[in-house]
Amino acid sequence: MMRADTVQLHAASPGLWTLAWRRLRADRVAMVSLAVVGLFLLSVLLSALGLVAADWEDEVAVNYAPPAFMGPDPALAALATPPAPAPPNAFDPLAGDIAALKAALVADAARQGKATQVAKAATLPFGADKWGHDIVRKTIKGGQTSIVVGLVAALVAVALGTLFGALSGFYGGVVDDLFNWFYNVFTSIPSILMILTVAAVLQTRGVLTIVLILGLTGWTGPYRLIRAEYIKHKAREYVMAADAIGASGWRRMFVHIFPNVSHVALVQMSILVVGFIKAEVILSFLGFGVPVGVVSWGSMLNEAQNELILGKWWQLAAAASAMALLVTAFSLFADALRDALDPKLK
Amino acid sequence: MTDHDLLEVRNLRVFFRIDKKNTVEAIKGISFSVPANATVALVGESGSGKSVSSLAVMGLLPAETTVIDAGSSIRFDGRELLALPLQERRRLCGKDIAMIFQEPMSSLNPVFTVGYQIGEVLRLHMGMNKRQARARTLALLEEVGIPDPAVKIDAYPSQMSGGQQQRVMIAMAIACEPRLLIADEPTTALDVTIQKQIMALIAGLQKKHRMAVLFITHDLGLVGEIADRVIVMRHGEVREEGPAAAVLLRPQDSYTRALLHCRPTLDARPVRLPVIDDYMSGRMQPDAPLPQRVRGYADGEAPLLVVNKLAKSFYFREGLFGKREFKAVKDVSFTLPRGKTLGVVGESGSGKTTVGLTLLRLHRATGGSALFDGRDLMTMSDREYQAYKRRIQIIFQNPYASLNPRFTVGQILLEPMRIHRIGANDAERVAHAYYLLKRVGLPEQAFHRYPHEFSGGQRQRIAIARCLTLTPEILVCDESVSALDVSVQAQVLNLLQDLQDEYGMSYLFISHDLSVVKYISDRVMVMHHGSVVEMADADELYRNPQHPYTRSLLAAIPRTPAI
Amino acid sequence: MFASQFSYILRRLWQMLPTMAGVVVLVFVLFNWVGGDPSYLLAGKMADAQAIANIRAQLGLDQPWTVQLWIFVKQILTFDFGNAWSTGEPVSHILASRLGPSLTVLVPLTVLETFFGIALALAIAFVRGSLTDRLVMVACTVGMSISILVYIIVFQYGLAYKLGLFPVQGWGDNFVENLLRYAALPILIGLAVSIAPTLRLFRSFVLDEAGQDYVRTARAKGLSERRIVWVHVLRNAAIPIITYVMANLPALLIGAFLLERFFGIPGIGREVILAVERSDFPVIKAITVYVAAATMVFNLLADLMYQAVDPRVQLK
Repeated sequence: MMRADTVQLHAASPGLWTLAWRRLRADRVAMVSLAVVGLFLLSVLLSALGLVAADWEDEVAVNYAPPAFMGPDPALAALATPPAPAPPNAFDPLAGDIAALKAALVADAARQGKATQVAKAATLPFGADKWGHDIVRKTIKGGQTSIVVGLVAALVAVALGTLFGALSGFYGGVVDDLFNWFYNVFTSIPSILMILTVAAVLQTRGVLTIVLILGLTGWTGPYRLIRAEYIKHKAREYVMAADAIGASGWRRMFVHIFPNVSHVALVQMSILVVGFIKAEVILSFLGFGVPVGVVSWGSMLNEAQNELILGKWWQLAAAASAMALLVTAFSLFADALRDALDPKLK
Repeated sequence: MTDHDLLEVRNLRVFFRIDKKNTVEAIKGISFSVPANATVALVGESGSGKSVSSLAVMGLLPAETTVIDAGSSIRFDGRELLALPLQERRRLCGKDIAMIFQEPMSSLNPVFTVGYQIGEVLRLHMGMNKRQARARTLALLEEVGIPDPAVKIDAYPSQMSGGQQQRVMIAMAIACEPRLLIADEPTTALDVTIQKQIMALIAGLQKKHRMAVLFITHDLGLVGEIADRVIVMRHGEVREEGPAAAVLLRPQDSYTRALLHCRPTLDARPVRLPVIDDYMSGRMQPDAPLPQRVRGYADGEAPLLVVNKLAKSFYFREGLFGKREFKAVKDVSFTLPRGKTLGVVGESGSGKTTVGLTLLRLHRATGGSALFDGRDLMTMSDREYQAYKRRIQIIFQNPYASLNPRFTVGQILLEPMRIHRIGANDAERVAHAYYLLKRVGLPEQAFHRYPHEFSGGQRQRIAIARCLTLTPEILVCDESVSALDVSVQAQVLNLLQDLQDEYGMSYLFISHDLSVVKYISDRVMVMHHGSVVEMADADELYRNPQHPYTRSLLAAIPRTPAI
Repeated sequence: MFASQFSYILRRLWQMLPTMAGVVVLVFVLFNWVGGDPSYLLAGKMADAQAIANIRAQLGLDQPWTVQLWIFVKQILTFDFGNAWSTGEPVSHILASRLGPSLTVLVPLTVLETFFGIALALAIAFVRGSLTDRLVMVACTVGMSISILVYIIVFQYGLAYKLGLFPVQGWGDNFVENLLRYAALPILIGLAVSIAPTLRLFRSFVLDEAGQDYVRTARAKGLSERRIVWVHVLRNAAIPIITYVMANLPALLIGAFLLERFFGIPGIGREVILAVERSDFPVIKAITVYVAAATMVFNLLADLMYQAVDPRVQLK
């Protein structure tokens, strides 16, 4: 509005995403949040590939071992077994006793194989849980579960919601009525109730089940927003112009309107990821989420509830702070992303 | 008699913050004065800084994004406003200085009644109690010409028309008998007949209450009837200032001269409209006579398009199961010969835009026919119509919404060619696109740019180029120049005329601006509430309007003293 | 005027029927088709074929699905779902008796949360854009990132178990005692958890209104900033706030389930969790259907309120 009528055409012409990226780069909070989220995603990747925390189920410490900065618990010290000292090479050609040699070889082999008798430490970097599992490894592995569920479920929900919303908003009429009916039915039941109901009905537990439950119930939010966007854009002159020059309905819907609406879908997705991570944690806490044997932040909180009464707070702290850190970073980044894509002069 | 003017602005500089570090200078050190009991018109195009100046006087510029330079001075009746603490400054507002804005619908609080909002000022500044405030409000509503004030005082803004809302804003502004009334484009959003009434109201109130009025507008032609002094601004600077007669009849500055002459007027029809550049570069002599163009439908020409009894109704749900019908277009018939322009004129709600959209089948017609080359456009199938999309095209009003913000200009131009398989391959199409860009006066580099880098006028040219890729025979111009500044409007009108001369296109030119329509049309059709009330050759219609509605429309056009 | 409102209500009720039918069908499909055969569950581990067949006949599961659907619909209309599978208590009695405790927690919680949300949002609106504003927003984000489970666990442990300020769990028979003693900590926790998202949402409503043209007019009239925010902006922001609160009420009923579970409050939410744990289908079906109906009714009420509060809206 304050621009002069002539315009200088500079070298490169930035599109929406380039401009948004520039704005994001200038926002320090956004960059820090992005880095934190990136670290978490990296740990998820490494954990999924089995490069870290694959051995979280090993009982490497005494039960309820306290964190290293607190020092070992005298009451449990007796249970600790120091790590076995490195054995001298069993094959001593100058040793005369063949039987002793054999025994030494067997003992060596046993030590180097998957030893069930692993050394039990008195303290771990962030303590141990009831069975002596390393909290750090559990947190990483649990994070993998919770984050993957959040991401995939959000992807499913946004994909469904966007497709339905686009069809509904663009075509209107019977198609709109049908999807609206679905929307009304699904939103009449509060989402928590919906999730619990489906969890009750699907007796099988598993990561896929949770993803399906969250994804198939969570599409309603994106649907409403994307539908409203499509209705708005369909009435805009550039879409009418596309119609006038002969673009087909599909072309208008996906080639013309969708690029103008994709940033809304992206922001929706980031909001849903946060919501679904929190939902997974609650579900797993209640026992309706991941099956026994799979660790998630929710199952960690479940165990932590009882441990707190015994005065053992480290599993609670680990799960709670890891989750809080990720969700905070993600939320701040999502806010910054929304502002970068659609800046308003305040 | 005092030795200073009521409002004295000296060396005002205003900066806008565009991000954390950088600012841009919006107002570059302007000075002007408003004497008491006089009307001063502040004229400029968009981006000139006229609104920003008035907001600065009122202290309404948002502090987070604007910076007023320390060397600026705004004195009201001798007091330096910029030195006053906020509290005191607020007390001046509404009482001694009042302001009315361009969009009355959004400027009034939608959840309070009209009477409450007017009464608020009375209770706050004049210390009235509820009963006194209500009585005074009734008197005010009557003074500004609201019909049935006793009922309207308890109405909500959404229950009133645009003209009535603006009257309410005026009532609110003059409630405390201010000494200065600032009116920021108060009639721009209103129909031309209402505009005339509001202008008369403001002029009458000015005389009666002996207020000073600072009237801000982009339309230099509007101020001739009411202004004592005129200030012309451009790009944040004052170009000319002086008594109205002097500025309008003997302008000194080249920009002012350009502004006066670029507007199409009712009494002349030059072959080409002069543009700002012609005056700024000194090429044009101010009073040189320009060759005129003759217009009108020729006899015996076979029409290209014959529209007969076109009708379009919209349906709304009402009651339990019922439907309500709104007849936007009732019974419209006209013909359009090759290479001629039919102007369609009317106020908002007349149905003129709906006619254009229905012809393009962007709305489904409810009745009637449109014979193009012997085939009825309204009843053919979608597949058949696809071929006709090449032959009839449309340019919309809002240049900021008619181009897809995510497409580059190149993509916008190539798309219609690809859909209709014009050109043997993409290389040919790209070459054609470059040619068209040049033809509409844009540089070749525009091909790779996004629309947001272009101004309104340039975007309209891109839209025109898009239509030209298909070489249509009929072009519907739906208020295509209404959203443009006067200087840019002239350029686009010239372009449209050149293209018509070159390609022989027929135009259906829809607009509410009577002067522009007279300039560009061969025949004019006047619409009112969905029907055609009069249709005649342009010169004939404006000389001898038959229908009372046409007459009132023409009477409402502001007349500048003869240039 | 009344006639148009009446016909609007009628039309809305008419439009609710397909939705309600959809909910009924959805619940039916979920439980009677996806859910598998519950008779095995109920018969216990060592049941023989005869016992299972008996149970199936009792539950009507051996009938064709059309009959089962009809039975379901009848149950809904007569409020009689038979007895809960796990406790044998009549389902209608369960619902009726659990509603009270839920409301004892929810109503004060909603009132306090709305009140504080509005007050804080308006206070923040005065200083929008400043450092305070940004810090508060970051604090809200952090607050929202901590799982509600952590809030409950920590507060329950700290304030009730360790410091003994509140009872750790429990519910009584006396309404006042329930409200002041047993419901206090759950309400406090609920407030702590919900204040951050509520404040963010209300703040966005208030800021949207504060950016409108009529605020500029109010300033031009010389009104004080305080009056502008507390009278002009608030009155407009109240519209989305009221509709939000109204539309969210039924969801709150279930949303408090975690609080009820941790604190042993015999409310609807806790009942749902128990029913899911025990696969007690009649209870879950009943609650789902009635909550859905309540949601639709509350949406209608929210729309009516919206029309009453916003003069721009005409009921169509």
